[in-house]
Amino acid sequence: MALLEISNLEAFYGKARSLHGVSLNIEPGKIVAIIGPNGAGKSTLLDSIMGITTTTGSVKFDGQEIRAQSPALNVKAGIGYAPERGNLFPFMGVKDNLLVGAYTSRDKIDENLRMVFDLFPVLEQRQTQETGTQSGGERQMVSLGRALMTSPKLLLVDEPTIGLAPKVCLDIAAALKKLNEETGLTIVITEQNVNFAMSLAQELHVLETGELRLSGTVDELQGEDYIKQAYFGA
Amino acid sequence: MTHIIIQGLLLSGLYALIAVGFTMIFSVGRVLNLAYGVYIMLGGYIYFQCVQVWHLPKAVGFVMAVAAGVAFAVATYQLLVRRLENNPVAVEISTLILAVVMQALIVMIYGAASRTMWPLVNGVWRIEGVAVTYNILIATVASWFILGGLMWFVHKTHLGRAIMAVSMDRKGAMVSGIDPRRISLITWAISGGLGAIAGVFFATYTQLDPSMWVGPLIIAVAVVVIGGIGSIVGSLIVAHLIGFMETITTSLLAAELRGVFTMLLIIIVLIVTPKGLFGREEL
Ligand SMILES: Nc1ncnc2c1ncn2[C@@H]1O[C@H](COP(=O)(O)OP(=O)(O)OP(=O)(O)O)[C@@H](O)[C@H]1O
Ligand SMILES: [Mg+2]
Repeated sequence: MALLEISNLEAFYGKARSLHGVSLNIEPGKIVAIIGPNGAGKSTLLDSIMGITTTTGSVKFDGQEIRAQSPALNVKAGIGYAPERGNLFPFMGVKDNLLVGAYTSRDKIDENLRMVFDLFPVLEQRQTQETGTQSGGERQMVSLGRALMTSPKLLLVDEPTIGLAPKVCLDIAAALKKLNEETGLTIVITEQNVNFAMSLAQELHVLETGELRLSGTVDELQGEDYIKQAYFGA
Repeated sequence: MTHIIIQGLLLSGLYALIAVGFTMIFSVGRVLNLAYGVYIMLGGYIYFQCVQVWHLPKAVGFVMAVAAGVAFAVATYQLLVRRLENNPVAVEISTLILAVVMQALIVMIYGAASRTMWPLVNGVWRIEGVAVTYNILIATVASWFILGGLMWFVHKTHLGRAIMAVSMDRKGAMVSGIDPRRISLITWAISGGLGAIAGVFFATYTQLDPSMWVGPLIIAVAVVVIGGIGSIVGSLIVAHLIGFMETITTSLLAAELRGVFTMLLIIIVLIVTPKGLFGREEL
């Protein structure tokens, strides 16, 4: 059974519709990428799974309908979310940011902190630094760390590489891969960086103007003329 | 000189307590709760009713005052603010109206004349030739304890950190499993309780009066505007700035002028530095 089953999902900002009948299944243990250009609806899709936007349709997590459920309950149910640009708490230190992430998962604080610090050793040395003063890469690590502190079964990551140097992108990719391999965590990332997405995900979905255009494995999509033209300019 | 320092310190501690409940609501919800002065007034009158009318023990008076402040604040949030959540101006207008209505209610029950509150503790302490009532001394020390406890609470507990989180990034708090509305409600409740305690102290320091919600409200607004959002330490510093300014005005110029300089300072800061002196965001 799929861990996340999205069917016919539509999302609205006021009267404007930003997702048009999106249907998608995410199998447990996979890394899945949603790729698409600016304004395609990637953030809207993740926000909608989380219960932050107004939606119609159906989202099932672990067999339960969660579409109309509040973000707080979705976190409790096991969905972790590292939103675009982090939404960190800028005047709190790194550790306090992580501890806020543990709000619904207080019995696992020690082991989750250990895991986050092992994954991103920089953060362990910078525990008291206010995140407002950190570099983009460090902030992205705190954002992922905060999501991991919720003890997720499914991790949603919105454009983890946005504005980051290639070296940092590689570190982030390595961390996500390690998490997936060692703990079996299911991960959904969104990306504009198709190369990054292809290096990480087993399965890709192309989103354009709020609709899913194409889906497939890395091998399948690599040969697609559509991808070549749109993203590699071939 | 010694006189000014001692009086200034004592008054400032009380002002810090008055301001902190108001600042918390502003940080979390970005609205000015202009009914905040009512919690202070309610605290004073409920304590008066319990202790000086019904002759109940002072501790009971305190508990009842806090309960009334919490209940009134929670009701304000649930019945009014929550429905107007996306419209700060509507919240500000309706909380101001609520304060005026409550003032009328107090006049109906207790009359328009002011009433004298018995001191919490009798006696006077003389230091360096300055007479300090035990009453204000106790009020100030208690204020410091409460403020210290609050600092500990917001930095060291899950609930306190969640309040800070909502004040800094609402979406970030939501994706951390925090329900911002629940946190707002809790913040209003805490604010109502703190306001009521401050009200008991304030009323024993001055007197009970149906318009006594105005002065503390101006102090609280001043602390937010001058101190800026999100900095508790900034609020404490500004409370002392105002406390000392008023003490100096009272002893060197005239007691009637003491609120005037606070208000002028609000305007000057708004013009010169919209973020406030210690602020982290535009007001
Ligand atoms: N809060 C909002 N109010 C109104 N419209 C919005 C809002 N957020 C997004 N939209 C609209 O929804 C559509 C999808 O936006 P979204 O942010 O989901 O795209 P995206 O794929 O994440 O883009 P990017 O790569 O730039 O982050 C866009 O047309 C955008 O203008
Ligand atoms: Mg986006």
